[in-house]
Amino acid sequence: MDFYFLLFAIMAVGAGIFTITAKDALPSALGLLTVFIALAALYLHLHAPLIAVFQVSIYAGAILVLVVFVIMLLITPDEELEQAQKNISYRAMGAILGAYLVALLVIGLAGIRQLVAQRSLPDGFGAPSQIGLLFFKQYLLHFEMASVLLLVALVAAIYLAKKNV
Amino acid sequence: MAGINEYIILACILFGLGTIGFLTRRNALILFMSVELMLNSINLMLVAFSNTRADMGGQVMVLFIFAVAAAEVAVGLAILICLFKHMKSVDVNRFDLLKW
Repeated sequence: MDFYFLLFAIMAVGAGIFTITAKDALPSALGLLTVFIALAALYLHLHAPLIAVFQVSIYAGAILVLVVFVIMLLITPDEELEQAQKNISYRAMGAILGAYLVALLVIGLAGIRQLVAQRSLPDGFGAPSQIGLLFFKQYLLHFEMASVLLLVALVAAIYLAKKNV
Repeated sequence: MAGINEYIILACILFGLGTIGFLTRRNALILFMSVELMLNSINLMLVAFSNTRADMGGQVMVLFIFAVAAAEVAVGLAILICLFKHMKSVDVNRFDLLKW
C-alpha cells in the first residue's frame, strides 16, 4: 500500500461522502468533481493514461458541466424538499441497505486474489496507439454501435427539448 | 504499488456510497450524481483488473462505458428538465402520477 494510492483513495472516499451528504445539488456536484479528479490520478497509477485524460475531459469536463447547467436551470424554493429529507426512517433504511451491499461486495470479492495472478505488463501497455488498434481490430463492431447509441441519444435529447413534450 | 485488493475495496466503497446516496436522497439531481459515482467505481475496478491481467480489453470497455454514460446523462437530464416543466419540482417523491 503506497502513499500515492492512499492519498487519492482517501480523497475519493471523502469527496464521495460529501457528494451524497451535501445539502444542495451544487456543492454535491463539486464533490463529484473531486471524485473524478482523484480517480483520474488513480488511472494514471494503473498505467491507463488515455482513460485518465478522458476521465478529466469527458467526466469532469462535459458531463459535470452539463449537470451544473441543469442545476442552474432548476433552482427551486427547496423548503419542502428539506422538510421531506428530515424524515429519518427513509435515510436509515437506505443507509442500512447500502452498507449491506458494500459488505456483500467486499466479502464476495475478498477471495478473488487466487483468480487473478499479477502478470508483468508488456511494453506500451495502455498506450493510446495500442488502444486505437484494439478499437479498430477486435472491437470494431462495438465501436460502430457506440456511435449509433450516441446518435440516438442526440436525437432523443433534441426531441425532449422541444416546446410541448 | 497497491495490489488489486486495495483497488477492489476502494471501488466497493465508492459503489456503496453511490447506492446509499441513491436510496437516501430525494433531489433528482443528486440521485443522478449518485449513479455517476457508481459508474465510476465500476470503471475503476475494470481498469484495475485490466492492469492486473495485462489485458487492455478492460480499458477499451471503460471507453465504451464513457460513451454510454455521456448518452445517459444527455437523455436523463433532458427528461429531468421536462419533468421539472410539468411538476415544478425536482423532488422524486412528487413524481407519483403512475402510483395507484
